[in-house]
Amino acid sequence: MRTPLASGLAAAALGLLLSGLALRSWQLVLLALPPIIVLALGSLFPPVRPRVVAVRSLSRDRAEVGHPVEVHLLVRNEGPALDLVEIVDVLPRELAVVRGTNHAVVSLEKGADVSLTYTVRSAVKGDFRIGPVRVRSLDPLVLGAEDAVVRLDARLVVAPAMEDLRRAKLGPRRTRPWFGQVPSRQIGAGTDFWGVREYVAGDEVRRINWKASARLDRLFTNEYEGERSGDVVIVVDARRESFIGTETENPIEHGVRAALGIADHVLASKNRVGLIVQRDVLDWVPPAFGRKQLYRILDHLTHVRPGGEWPFGHVVWVLSRFFPRDCLVVLISPLRDRAALSGIIGLAARGYDVAIVSPSPLAIEWRLAEPLPEHETAYRILRLERENLIAQLRRVAQVVDWDPATPLALALRRMGAWPRPA
Amino acid sequence: MAAARVIAIVLRAAPSVTLALLVVWSILDVLSIPDPRRGFPLLGLAAAGVAFLLLGAKFQARSTRTLGLVCIGAAYLIAHAVILGIDLVPALVFISVLIIQVELRVLAERFAPRFEVDPGPDAQRRIRGALGRAVLRLTVAAVLSVVVPILAADLAVAGVVPVTTIPTAIALAAGLVAVVALLALVPSLERRTA
Repeated sequence: MRTPLASGLAAAALGLLLSGLALRSWQLVLLALPPIIVLALGSLFPPVRPRVVAVRSLSRDRAEVGHPVEVHLLVRNEGPALDLVEIVDVLPRELAVVRGTNHAVVSLEKGADVSLTYTVRSAVKGDFRIGPVRVRSLDPLVLGAEDAVVRLDARLVVAPAMEDLRRAKLGPRRTRPWFGQVPSRQIGAGTDFWGVREYVAGDEVRRINWKASARLDRLFTNEYEGERSGDVVIVVDARRESFIGTETENPIEHGVRAALGIADHVLASKNRVGLIVQRDVLDWVPPAFGRKQLYRILDHLTHVRPGGEWPFGHVVWVLSRFFPRDCLVVLISPLRDRAALSGIIGLAARGYDVAIVSPSPLAIEWRLAEPLPEHETAYRILRLERENLIAQLRRVAQVVDWDPATPLALALRRMGAWPRPA
Repeated sequence: MAAARVIAIVLRAAPSVTLALLVVWSILDVLSIPDPRRGFPLLGLAAAGVAFLLLGAKFQARSTRTLGLVCIGAAYLIAHAVILGIDLVPALVFISVLIIQVELRVLAERFAPRFEVDPGPDAQRRIRGALGRAVLRLTVAAVLSVVVPILAADLAVAGVVPVTTIPTAIALAAGLVAVVALLALVPSLERRTA
């Protein structure tokens, strides 16, 4: 393959030659020689097609956003000696090289190898493929090139960072029959005192209220409030219209972070958690308990990319068909879709508890905008519109207007008990 | 590592220095045209070339940069071919420097970033080897591209065979060009038929 430089030199030589003949100037004809001589020298040592093998290793194949991963690539020349060879380990654009280099320009003798060690870091979550390795053999004057591609892919899963919600009070209000940590307002196995009743045969001795028994001269037993578990369904709005800001600073990325934090917190309280993601497809994970469910949710959240135009009505349909009715629905959305308001009212009317965590797109845009007076006016108008929408939603749901620059736990704490008691 | 940084700086600076040399050379030659009516259009062409070069550098546009180089080269060649007359040795040096500038830029784009990071001693040694070979062959090409046409001119004007008429000199020069062109094309043709 000829490079553009070779074509340029050939064109220059031809132009000078023709001009010299047209003007009958032997000096001009001779001026055509320098480009031709350079072309001739390049053609005397043409590049050979590279035949290389490569081995790549990663220090880890799963990492959190912002954590470095070291990549080691070894390329061995299995073909003839390569005078000037350019090697590039192709990276997805989300991965930034923070140390070392994924690109080399070297000479490789037959059987020789070259190793590249570099560190990458991703500012966004995702399931990335590193590779292939592209090799280009050049002649020393860079007039010709031969390309080869080594199909060698490595998978790197970058998980979203998790919000610390250990101190946040958040969980389902309605309970299911399984044991858990949510007070059920029913007598059962628990630790919170509920009342006293007369002793019946079979009651545990440790539950006898000795003071009341002594006072009334017959045995009484303490009763406790049963602690059960409930269901929480997290709905993440990752539609195209929710993408505002940059690749790293947008409501979808922050929403995913919040969803993972909430899922972890709710699962740690022995509740079931399910997930629905509005993206190119409506993606959902049925409710379940435990650590495995957290990994399932993490896997789905890692693949969230902005896209799709699904109306909120479809989410309501999925919720009503595939998820339990008495669950807490946590909607994570920047609330750009005013039509969702009627959907949320409909959900509340059907008896769902609804809570909304809204990563503020206005706060994100405001930080990115230049401080101009017209921007400030626009910001005020948009903020009024948003506050109006949130005020309407607060009639049927708890709404957390979250500036992603602050921790989510802080925004949840400002709401007090969450969701509000019946 | 310090030596690598120096190499990187030199590599980054070399194309700009040669380009500045070409621009100054071309503009000085155009300014030496005694008739301003003929000189102004060429000065405009050279100025357009400089503008294209600056725009190409600012917006990282390769095609604009190439257009700038073509304008600078054209201003020099037209000035000498039509008005000032071609003095062969400086003209050959100008063309060679023009080619070297492009080659240096290509090499700098490839090699300078490699010297700015530390890829390890083994890779560093290989990179230096590859750069050394490229620079050596570029030097050989530059010397040959000046010396061979001068020899050809000597042959044409006062060589072994007394061919001093203009048509025979042109024919001899064209023949030499054809031989070198064949030399350039033969390896490509061989590879295509293989």
